[in-house]
Amino acid sequence: MALSEKDVRGIAEYAKIALTDDELTQMTSYMNDAVQMLEPVLQYDLPDVEPTFHPIGSLSNVMGDDLREPERDLPLGVALENAGSARDRYFRVPSILGEGESE
Amino acid sequence: MAQSFDSLTAAQIAAGVAAGDFTATEVAQASLAVIEAREDGVQAFLQVAPELALEAAARVDADRAAGKPLPPLAGVPLAIKDNMNLVGTRTTCASRMLENYQSVYTATCVQRMLDAGCLPMGKANMDEFAFGSSTESSAFHRTNNPWDTERVPGGSSGGSAAAVAAGEVALSLGSDTGGSIRQPASLCGVVGFKPTYGAVSRYGVVAFGSSLDQVGPFGRTVEDVALAMNALTGAGHDPYDCTSQDCAVDFTEHLNDSIEGKRVGIIPAFMEAEGLTPEVRSAVERAAQELQNQGAELVEVDLPHLDAAIAAYYVIGPAEAFSNLARFDGIRYGYQEEGCANLSDQSSLSRAHGFGAEAKRRQMLGAYLLSSGVYDKYYYAAQKARTLITQDYDAAYAKVDTILMPASPRTAFKFGEISDPTQMYLSDLYTISLNICGNGGISVPLGLGEDTQLPVSAQLVGPAFKDRQLLTFARALERGFADAATGAPALSVAPDFAGKGGEL
Repeated sequence: MALSEKDVRGIAEYAKIALTDDELTQMTSYMNDAVQMLEPVLQYDLPDVEPTFHPIGSLSNVMGDDLREPERDLPLGVALENAGSARDRYFRVPSILGEGESE
Repeated sequence: MAQSFDSLTAAQIAAGVAAGDFTATEVAQASLAVIEAREDGVQAFLQVAPELALEAAARVDADRAAGKPLPPLAGVPLAIKDNMNLVGTRTTCASRMLENYQSVYTATCVQRMLDAGCLPMGKANMDEFAFGSSTESSAFHRTNNPWDTERVPGGSSGGSAAAVAAGEVALSLGSDTGGSIRQPASLCGVVGFKPTYGAVSRYGVVAFGSSLDQVGPFGRTVEDVALAMNALTGAGHDPYDCTSQDCAVDFTEHLNDSIEGKRVGIIPAFMEAEGLTPEVRSAVERAAQELQNQGAELVEVDLPHLDAAIAAYYVIGPAEAFSNLARFDGIRYGYQEEGCANLSDQSSLSRAHGFGAEAKRRQMLGAYLLSSGVYDKYYYAAQKARTLITQDYDAAYAKVDTILMPASPRTAFKFGEISDPTQMYLSDLYTISLNICGNGGISVPLGLGEDTQLPVSAQLVGPAFKDRQLLTFARALERGFADAATGAPALSVAPDFAGKGGEL
């Protein structure tokens, strides 16, 4: 079943990418083309085949020593220098509950 | 006796610096002069780093003056794909999102090249966040193919490939998630190597598909690529990347071994695939003949599940890309939309205006594929296809030592020629399955195609962590297509740029 513009708007909200109406139309067309291209993979959903999630099969969680590595700490100024907005020692963000453009 | 530095391989530059024929500073200046003279035509770089290059060169020269032993790539100019962090440079991923991002640490792969003596000449253009096959999705400018500046260099590591093909540097680093080293290498007529997943640390490389991404080198000779691999893997496992494997060997050790008696696989279906142009097909057939002439046995092999590779990739890749690029929320780094009333709007608008069209498309596709109900349908099927493709390769490698195939179905295309994104995805036909199973692959230039007079190549692929053996086959191919009189590889610096500036 093809994705509608409403579906794609929902995905865009989840993905946190604000799309204009024109972009939404183009994106819907792309999404349907792309999903169509993925169809061949569905025939491989076979019950007797185990999925491979990673090319190195034997990977397991790696736990680091619970130690500080001061030489790897980012100095405060370096950590903040790429932020769009900072104040004192902090990243600065708008209100979480502020009144926005979206409903 | 002046010569342009572009006539020298990385091995020759390092030897010349070590012997005192020229200093590393003279090499850095020559490379900067070449970049100055040629960059208008190529536009391979997003940022040139003369201060860093000259500082690195001065350290090499001081070490030599002090009688210290020089590292193996001392004085060799290097270009670095702009998704790799290097302190003192921006790391933009060719995206407005990271236009002003200053690297706060240095990627392990870059550091290891610098430890080996390379001079960091600058950061190379790419498709935005590595999403693309032509470098056209860079937010900043296009990169021209040095063999025909009206054509694309391939992608996503198009700047890295073009910088080497235009003779601006001797070596460069790229990353390959679906063919992003091997395809631009093919289109630009240079050697491009994607090692086995895990061979090179990904620490400090901006992530696209974490189970697919692998860093590798470009050079104009297989030997130079082998020397770069020594630098990238020599220090062993990187504790900052848990997928990094200890696979240090001397990649130059068996480079010139005979391939007599070795078995080379050919996949007949690949040679008949739709979209493969006659000139590329004929070049790969000549490559097979050449390997046979050198004593290898050609064996037909079958990879029955390869049909699923592109579909599986465009499930796994976008899903991983969406997860990785979710971190760009405009708060700690990256483009930040001003004047938003709340945090949610700030994130959505920062991402909408920071990312370009293809980056948005891939993330939207990934978001959809990971959404409830859809995830079970596509994601598991793709990971099962991955199992089957890996088993296909394992079965093939029980019969053969390497498989020969095209790297790109065609030579370089014109800007704008492929405008449909899903059509562009098909240019990864021959490269993508290796990222799915994690094996190594290398594109080796074979000369110019008989129809387009543009570079054509063959790809050799091998079993996981048999990368050194793969380079032996690549060298055999390079040797077979070399100039009979001089022994020079089939292609060197693109003729419109060769010899311009940078005398040593």
